[in-house]
Amino acid sequence: MTGRQIEHLVRMANQIALNLGAERDVEAAVRGTREHLSRFWTSAMREQLLAHWRGSGEGLHPAVAAVMAAMEEHQ
Amino acid sequence: MVQYYQPQQDFGTPQRHTGAEVTLSIDGVEVSVPETTSVMRAAALAGVRIPRLCATDTLEAFGSCRLCLVEIEGTNGYPASCTTPVRAGMRVRTHSDKLAGLRRNVLELYLSDHPLDCLSCPANGECELQDAAAKMGLREVRYGVGGANHLDAGKDASNPYFTFDPARCIVCSRCVRACEDIQGTFALTIEGRGFDSRVSAGQAETFMASECVSCGACVSACPTASLLENSIIEQGLPERTAITTCAYCGVGCSFVAELKGAAVVRMTPHKDGGANAGHACVKGRFAFGYATHPDRITRPMIREHIDAAWRAVSWDEAIAYAAQRLRAIQAQYGRNSIGAISSSRCTNEEVYLVQKLVRAGFGNNNVDTCARVCHSPTGYGLKTTLGESAGTQAFTSVDHADVILVIGANPTEAHPVFGSRLKRRLRQGARLIVIDPRGIELVDAPHVHADYHLPLRPGTNVAVLNALAHVIVAEGLQNTQFVAQRCDSEAFAAWRDFISDPRHAPEQLEAETGVAAAALRGAARLYATAGNAAIYYGLGVTEHSQGSTAVMAIANLAMLTGNIGREGVGVNPLREQNNVQGSCDMGSFPHELPGYRHLSDAATRTQFERDWQVALDPEPGLRIPNMFDAAVDGDFRGLYCQGEDMAQSDPDTQHVQAALRALDCLIVQDIFLSETAKYAHVFLPGSSFLEKDGTFTNAERRISRVRQIVPPLAGKQDWEITAALANALDCGMHYTHPSQIMDEIARLTPTFAGVSYAALDALGSIQWPCNSGAPEGTPTMHVDEFVRGKGNFAITEYIATRERASARFPLLLTTGRILSQYNVGAQTRRTANSTWHPRDTLEIHPVDAAQRGIAEGDWVGIQSRVGNTVLPACITERVEPGVVYTTFHHPDSGANVITTDNSDWATNCPEYKVTAVQISRVAEPSPWQQRQRAFDRRQLALLPGAGAE
Repeated sequence: MTGRQIEHLVRMANQIALNLGAERDVEAAVRGTREHLSRFWTSAMREQLLAHWRGSGEGLHPAVAAVMAAMEEHQ
Repeated sequence: MVQYYQPQQDFGTPQRHTGAEVTLSIDGVEVSVPETTSVMRAAALAGVRIPRLCATDTLEAFGSCRLCLVEIEGTNGYPASCTTPVRAGMRVRTHSDKLAGLRRNVLELYLSDHPLDCLSCPANGECELQDAAAKMGLREVRYGVGGANHLDAGKDASNPYFTFDPARCIVCSRCVRACEDIQGTFALTIEGRGFDSRVSAGQAETFMASECVSCGACVSACPTASLLENSIIEQGLPERTAITTCAYCGVGCSFVAELKGAAVVRMTPHKDGGANAGHACVKGRFAFGYATHPDRITRPMIREHIDAAWRAVSWDEAIAYAAQRLRAIQAQYGRNSIGAISSSRCTNEEVYLVQKLVRAGFGNNNVDTCARVCHSPTGYGLKTTLGESAGTQAFTSVDHADVILVIGANPTEAHPVFGSRLKRRLRQGARLIVIDPRGIELVDAPHVHADYHLPLRPGTNVAVLNALAHVIVAEGLQNTQFVAQRCDSEAFAAWRDFISDPRHAPEQLEAETGVAAAALRGAARLYATAGNAAIYYGLGVTEHSQGSTAVMAIANLAMLTGNIGREGVGVNPLREQNNVQGSCDMGSFPHELPGYRHLSDAATRTQFERDWQVALDPEPGLRIPNMFDAAVDGDFRGLYCQGEDMAQSDPDTQHVQAALRALDCLIVQDIFLSETAKYAHVFLPGSSFLEKDGTFTNAERRISRVRQIVPPLAGKQDWEITAALANALDCGMHYTHPSQIMDEIARLTPTFAGVSYAALDALGSIQWPCNSGAPEGTPTMHVDEFVRGKGNFAITEYIATRERASARFPLLLTTGRILSQYNVGAQTRRTANSTWHPRDTLEIHPVDAAQRGIAEGDWVGIQSRVGNTVLPACITERVEPGVVYTTFHHPDSGANVITTDNSDWATNCPEYKVTAVQISRVAEPSPWQQRQRAFDRRQLALLPGAGAE
């Protein structure tokens, strides 16, 4: 996976969390972001983002990091 | 459905729907009509054609030619039947010796100043003056033809599509009234008085030099050969006709295709067309010649790699080769390594088959459509708030609007036939709010002036929409009863708290949006209080990093003010291409099946699995930009592309090109060697809209038939090509006619349950939902309740795009469309429409141009953070200082070389509308343009017969 692709995934996930209220209602944003990723992302894209979070997690908004933690727990 | 040619029936004056039904007698025949109907129309309905010259049923009666006189029992004189309304019990006589004498007198005067060369006249056989003379038995013109006349008046052949011959003009004013009343351009006038009266374009200009937009309304209205299509002048009258649907914008106009032999000689707007009611624009009316352009590729081609010469092969060999390469890729790289992209230019049946091929044949959900890059936020936003991914109204709804809010749309350029209807409503007195960075035509057009133009800074739609809602709530202008009855109370309470926050006040946002707070408050008050309020929006809303949020903010406004669920109101996305709505309806997105049902819905999935006899993957597939990223990464290797040209239309061209170049197998199905096809390994020659059967669904959910007019040049209709590829991949598709595909769609999609070709033939067109509850379709949605039950007020936090103007890139580029060209221009560039727009230009405000020493026509280099290109300058105050604008109709422009990979948070719709750039005067094309020209030359040389090795 190239840097560009992971950079895209990080940016997209952060955008989703922010637009679902990450600066206003973190709990709802985490719930909404997780559902959004499940409904609209391929499992491979989710896996790639999870792998990035497991590694450096660089650039991830805390709400997205929380989503990743929840996904990890679910696995 | 091809029929012998007959001109469309003309009832003389427009149909009336208001007033009590009354019965009258015309020449002894009883007829019942609404009391507002004219005697002329009632007569036509009774089978009696009253002679006339200045009347036609597309225009209000004018009463000038004095040919349609009748006798009415109990009434003195001889009233004009076109301007006389019917009365109950009225007894009308249309023929008597006295009437015949009066009419002959009038007709003789007309003929004394008209060429009497009927046999060689191009309108011979289709001239209302000739018809009138024949029916009245006129045998001589007592005045002779030697008096003063206009027979030597010179022709105006400036327009590429029609000619004005003033010698044949009878000054009936039908053309002038058509330009005013139907088109709303006011380009024509009657100049002079009495004998000197003559039709004039502009101020004694040629048609091309005038404001004329070449919609053809004047040509359709002309009763003689004075205004006539050049194709008819050159080739004579048509022999056969068939009704079909335009393949250009999302208005979806119905046309009568008129043929001579196997050639289409004229496209006449269909008076009974549900979307257009007899009107057209320069694209649909005239720009159909691309279908027979020499650039058409009509033989399948294959090659090993993109630097190899193409080899023309049989259909069987091309299909087998494509299937073998796709299966080989899957065998090596896995099931998910291939996918498909379809186009909104294709029919419902075609895009349905593509998504079926991917899901049932490829075994994954890697299917997407070009709506990804235009209106995908509409789908998300309207589904979230209202419960259905579609506009709420019919186009005719605007006739009942009291205030119209147009945001991020330019209807007179991009949806011209709807734009004309909208302007007519504005001339009748409806108020207008325009929210757009540019001064689009609607802001200040003849007899149309926006009450408010809010020239917002690109990227700030959500802030402006929130501010409008804030004002309405803060000033108590909301429709409390509607919200309480129709909307989710909990969601509304949370949203009301959110929107009431002072940070959404227009004064707080003025610096960010560039919109004066007082004007914004005025617009909010007008929208909320002027009666029926309708919102029309376009890509200027969706193509942003918050496109989906803006759509939801629009829906919030409509719900907040109770402006939804009846005529004259609503939320109306103006779809850019002809079948954007349909391609979305047909399950072309990677996360949902036809009818907007998510793959995770086991019941829906099971329904399709049973019908298709295959297990479906419940996981969403790749979107277009994800496909490109994965291709560059090597994870995505094979792509079947039906009719879409991503290499020109998608953002960040160099990334798209890198992705296409990285593919092991690119199969392109198109009618031309598109920019994308230059990277292909298999080319499957498709069919134009004139060569196939199917359906398109327009922006008002109207499903209309596309009918095969001529045989496919390459031998196959597009649905047949996809079916052949599917069958080669052991994904059985054994249809013999696209009606069977529609039957399958109807069987599997509740909103289409009542749709069939038989129903479409019977009704003309159908607006979905169409099912047992609405067997003839649904013009207005959400009447008693929202599709989702209670309307959902979504929180719409404004989050500024990261694409901001800076010291390095101080200007914001925004992109759009122009009337004469369509999308990537593949069709319109191959017609005379390029006369109006031979190249894309960069609009620059005079201040910005002066600061950089740029003059009109100078070559301007445009640099963004992802690329640069060069365009000629157009200095104009249509754009605000700090904003530049261009179109993307010509591939060499490279407009998308500079647009970025920013996209909508919910759907990945690209942010075409905001790109930070710097511009400077330059002397030569950009390096990309120079490389691209060399690549183009090389690819064209690789075509069969081009002489390459």
